[in-house]
Amino acid sequence: MARKLRITVDHDVCVGNAMCETFATNTFALNEERQSEAVNPDGDPLSQILEAADNCPVSAITVADAETGEKLFP
Amino acid sequence: MVASTNSRISDDMFTDEVIADPYTYYGRLREEDPVHWNEQYSLWVITRYDDLVWLTRHNELFSSAVFKNDPKPPYPTIYDSDLGLYEFVREYQSRQFIQHDRPAHLDMRKVVHGYFTPRSMEEWRPMVRDAIKDLLDEAEERGSMDVMRDFATPLPLLIIAQMMGVPKQDRPYIREVAEKLLYVGRGEPWRMQNFSEGIREMIEYVTPLVEERIVNPQDDFISVLARGEREGVFSREQVISNSSLLLLAGHETTINLLCNGILSLIRNPAQWEMLREDPEGMHVKATEECLRHDSSVKSITRIAAEDVELRGQVIRKADRIRWFISSANRDPRKFPNPDDFDLTRWPNPHVAFGAGIHHCLGATLVRVEGQEAFRAFAERFNALHLDTTEELEYQPSITFRSVKEMPITWD
Repeated sequence: MARKLRITVDHDVCVGNAMCETFATNTFALNEERQSEAVNPDGDPLSQILEAADNCPVSAITVADAETGEKLFP
Repeated sequence: MVASTNSRISDDMFTDEVIADPYTYYGRLREEDPVHWNEQYSLWVITRYDDLVWLTRHNELFSSAVFKNDPKPPYPTIYDSDLGLYEFVREYQSRQFIQHDRPAHLDMRKVVHGYFTPRSMEEWRPMVRDAIKDLLDEAEERGSMDVMRDFATPLPLLIIAQMMGVPKQDRPYIREVAEKLLYVGRGEPWRMQNFSEGIREMIEYVTPLVEERIVNPQDDFISVLARGEREGVFSREQVISNSSLLLLAGHETTINLLCNGILSLIRNPAQWEMLREDPEGMHVKATEECLRHDSSVKSITRIAAEDVELRGQVIRKADRIRWFISSANRDPRKFPNPDDFDLTRWPNPHVAFGAGIHHCLGATLVRVEGQEAFRAFAERFNALHLDTTEELEYQPSITFRSVKEMPITWD
């Protein structure tokens, strides 16, 4: 079974660039404010989620293992 | 506020007063008429922070294809005899990826986006540091510095030239052509002559570099654009237009951040002391506050893609809009004591880089250069002083906040 992830998007920082939504379509979606939310942490393979986080132009996304707390990004 | 409501707000945005101090003029609009119809230019002027953020994030309502979709003649007016040049300018500018809407914009941005991620931009930090050290060593040996000419221009030019893979000796020429391209934001009726000349020269300069990268890709940014052509996302003309866009945008905005930031530090000695006492701890916050307080880019334009109601006004489809970053970043509804230059502001959600899908591609690079520059100044100099008794002069641009010269001394 795939590991459970804890994904956060810092809304003090997120500018709604929406690149995360492009790289991990099922994981991220823009909310009413047009800021990104991790709507489904299991939405996409880990590699795609990490690519989405890496491509955030303002480093708003963190990814960690939900069970162990291990930091996966940054 | 009460005293000013009776007098009409002038629609001329190129007066000496507005160019010297945009904050008073756009601040008054922000408080009295935040969705202002500028009759003189047939233009909506948007000045509040919340409105700017809302507009930038609703890209489906506001087209970025401004040159292509603006049905009206340029503002301020240009010479009738230059309308042919304007058509040439329109066609060229329309090839830039920033002048596109989704879905084309997304395809184009994806080609270039990965090059500019925060992690990959970190790799440039050591080179930025070295370049700053060399420039400041040279200034100290000379015993004088015009921040604009001797520091803020050569630094980002060196970095972007390296990134784009253009030869070192061509940097002064690139700046010379770039200065003609900056007429995009000017008001003179003859401005299309300089602007179009800059475009022709840039096409002539960039074309052989692009042709070479198509055949022989390197790890530079022109090769990234050339790959976009091979993948069928860009035409050759678009690769050329975007290469020249990145050459210009990759240094002009940073020049302004460095000059305007150092000026703010000179004018606010307590903040300068705070940075000097802890350059390592403060250089990131200082850069964000410099970006907010006296932003490099004053305004951005769009064309309404459909009828939109905003604060009781109806913006009609095809109306043109200009929103003012410099006013939004001083909006008291968002930033307490917005006119104060305060390095401790945090978080600092300024909109110096815009927002939404068109958020500045090079934002991280600008930040790295600003952070290292402000840190280096604070580590090296005890105090900075303007070396002139005259008021600093700014370029008469509606788009860029650019000082013409900035001589300083130090001790």
